[in-house]
Amino acid sequence: MASLAQASTALSTSCKPTLQALSSRVSSLKSVSFSITGKRFPSLSSRPGRLQVSCSAKPETLNKVCDIVKKQLALPDTTAVTAGSKFTELGADSLDTVEIVMGLEEEFGISVEEDSAQTIATVQDAADLIEKLVEKKA
Amino acid sequence: MNIHGLQRNFCSAPTTLLPVQLPTRMESHLCGDELQKRALLARALVRTTIARYTNDRVDPRSLNFKKNGYGKPEVEWQIADDWQPPALQFNISHTSSLIACGVTVDSPIGIDVEEKQRKLKHHILAFARRYFSSHEVEHLTSISDIEIQRQQFIKLWTLKEAYVKALGRGFSASPFKTFTIQLKAAAKRGIYLSRDVESEISEISVDSLGSENLTNNWQFLLLELAGSHYAAICMQKHNTLGGKGNVPIKLTARRTIPLVEDECVLGTSAVVPISGLTF
Repeated sequence: MASLAQASTALSTSCKPTLQALSSRVSSLKSVSFSITGKRFPSLSSRPGRLQVSCSAKPETLNKVCDIVKKQLALPDTTAVTAGSKFTELGADSLDTVEIVMGLEEEFGISVEEDSAQTIATVQDAADLIEKLVEKKA
Repeated sequence: MNIHGLQRNFCSAPTTLLPVQLPTRMESHLCGDELQKRALLARALVRTTIARYTNDRVDPRSLNFKKNGYGKPEVEWQIADDWQPPALQFNISHTSSLIACGVTVDSPIGIDVEEKQRKLKHHILAFARRYFSSHEVEHLTSISDIEIQRQQFIKLWTLKEAYVKALGRGFSASPFKTFTIQLKAAAKRGIYLSRDVESEISEISVDSLGSENLTNNWQFLLLELAGSHYAAICMQKHNTLGGKGNVPIKLTARRTIPLVEDECVLGTSAVVPISGLTF
């Protein structure tokens, strides 16, 4: 399963996944999930307005990141925090973001460089970076 | 250099600054609509402020903006035959309850505001050891009162943010660990609110550890805004005096609701200088 952040009506990716059951509600949704058969493709850098497709982070990693973010921002349990959630949209300012990164470093035993930290905009970004760093450590 | 502050919880009596009940930490995280509103307010504040300093020649709506190579917003002036636009530079910062916009003529500027009561989820010294320079960690460690330590931390944070934003090359170009901000106490005689005040107004300086960044041409101010926020401002000095000492800055501060209200608050309790400023 992969999630598509910021769906636009024209899809363009660097590889050719097989799309199954692409919902006709795509254009009205902020995020869309679709099944992909075929090979795994790498995560693209996430900048606002660009397509971000990624399927490398494990669900447990994503969940841990969501928990850390919720705790840092003191969000009520009812708030939906998903892979595509942007930190800024959840109300994080720059100090929050740095604290979140610090929380992730502590939780996963990694060290995040400043230039990597700058690329983290969503929960998914964080999870992907964590897995990359954890893998490098191993 | 002018700072415009927009308070979101604005009371309708413009002549007195009523104390603002700050939202709790949970309420103060803006989501969805609130974020959009804040973005709109921030844009309105920047546009109306810059338009004002063109002597109202430019309509706020007609201003264009672009980003520099590192994502820092700048004004993109339209070329006109009969008018040379002023060399205005600006920067903004917001918290959930205050948006600040600083404008200068011909000087890069960075501004950062933070709630005075902001508390960290982490232990302050652990955070500082991870992100601040060793001198700054030393300074914070030496403060025994934890409340004063927290306040000094917030001040340092805003000053560091303001510096990086003024440099305009993104945070990875100047990681926080690579420069030290120092508040040096210097007893100065200051005139504030037309009273002579013997006060310890400290000077703020930045030292870059081992990089080519010129650090003696940046000037800092630290203010308390609306009784509730620290505001740090960093701007480049125009050195005609050979680099030593601070060049006097003409500062204006206004509290604003864009297109609705606008009042000068310099000299009132809404703007209290903390460091780097003598009148």
